[in-house]
Amino acid sequence: MIRPALVLLLVTAAAWAQAPSARDLRGIWQAKGNAYRNLEAEKGVIVDPANGKIPYRAEARSTADRNFQARATTDPLLVCFQPGVPRATLLPEPFQIFQQQDRVVIVYQHVHSYRVIFTDGRPHYDDGIEFYMGDSRGHWEGNTLVVDATNFKPENWLDAAGHFHSNKLHVIERYTRDAPNTMRYEATLEDPEVFQRPWTIRAELARHTEPNFQLIEHECDRDAQGAYRHPPQFLK
Amino acid sequence: MKHVASLVIAAVCASAQSAFTPPRLPDGHPDFGGIWMAATLSAAFNVEEHAASYGTPAGPSVIIDPPGGKLPYLPGMRERALDNDQHRERDPVGQCHMHGVPRVMFPPFPLEIFEDGENVVILTETEHGVRIIPTDGRPLLKNYSSWNGDSRGRWEGDTLVVEVRGLNGKGWLDQAGNFVGAGATVVERFRLTAKDTLEYEATVSNPAVFSRSFTVRVPLRRRPADVELLEYGCIEGERDAAHLPSTNAPANGERK
Repeated sequence: MIRPALVLLLVTAAAWAQAPSARDLRGIWQAKGNAYRNLEAEKGVIVDPANGKIPYRAEARSTADRNFQARATTDPLLVCFQPGVPRATLLPEPFQIFQQQDRVVIVYQHVHSYRVIFTDGRPHYDDGIEFYMGDSRGHWEGNTLVVDATNFKPENWLDAAGHFHSNKLHVIERYTRDAPNTMRYEATLEDPEVFQRPWTIRAELARHTEPNFQLIEHECDRDAQGAYRHPPQFLK
Repeated sequence: MKHVASLVIAAVCASAQSAFTPPRLPDGHPDFGGIWMAATLSAAFNVEEHAASYGTPAGPSVIIDPPGGKLPYLPGMRERALDNDQHRERDPVGQCHMHGVPRVMFPPFPLEIFEDGENVVILTETEHGVRIIPTDGRPLLKNYSSWNGDSRGRWEGDTLVVEVRGLNGKGWLDQAGNFVGAGATVVERFRLTAKDTLEYEATVSNPAVFSRSFTVRVPLRRRPADVELLEYGCIEGERDAAHLPSTNAPANGERK
């Protein structure tokens, strides 16, 4: 016996999936939850493997542990590095998605990082240039935007707890708008130098619906010692 | 008969002026979409007329008002600009900040423009700068202070007019130390004058620094279709001691 409310929900979800707007990802979005703090500590973030742990190679786990101990001073985010992928998605700050015929553009409020994600089939940069935000190419699988991101710099962390990757990182992201104001985000991370096998995180994104909501400028400035620091209103 | 003749002349003049019909988006507005770069890099070096010097090619003024092409500094302000010129390590862009308006529109780097019916978006390669310009009539932010300001756009025919407020008053106008101060406001005008030419004008009002408003005009030229913006890291790689407030300060971005 299925309750009427559930029927309504199923019908609504089915209708949403049929609507052309399901491929419209435009809007200002923000991750729910606290995955940005520690991917392993937040329940339900790592959905594969089933134990919820990052499948580090043995020596890489030791590096992650050392990073964790030193995180108050060595997290690249603290000195305003661009956040990388998928960390940019999970931060407690909004980002805005724009869509053009041949590209999806994501502007993150956090240090005004942006990604231009071509969806016209053109190949990745293959000349060895590395980027903090990677090189991203997208395509549609049904109503899911699938983004393939490579060419990462090796310095970035994956969260504030010292989880990390090398320049062999390859991220496959999946953006699925499952209702007008929510989007499911998944990212599968491969990095043979650091991980034994690919692993996957999941997060729920919520759309900002406040009237006239907009991104504001998040720009770092130097402190008295000359180090770049975030303005206090953005510290979480 | 005379009247008819002058009407004809007027019509011919008008049609010569508007001979170029811009490509349009489904909403009817001109399509500014593409990768652009200032047609002349002269403005990035110095918005005023300047002779060649080490690292700086000579160039004409891009100031179309006031006549004469000089910035209408208040007494004492040109001295500050000349002092900046002697201390280019103060240049906010050298310190990894975004350029501010109007300098953000004519750096020696490409920028991308696109429209989605609700916003005109400008992404600059340098400093991974961003301007999101709503064109939906929403009000400007109150009590806002930032490098690139808060912008609102509206269409006057085929010209995009952008009002900019909320500038932090710390931006320079060029590499030569010309500057704007607190309370500056800017009105920008964007207009396609040919398929690959986007004319950009900015009128700056800043009574704390200038005796009157002034206007710069810089044409932007479309870059080839295969040009993409690439990532520009600045803070991440900042290790230049000359940019540090104290030589004893640790190099920024270096991981300990």
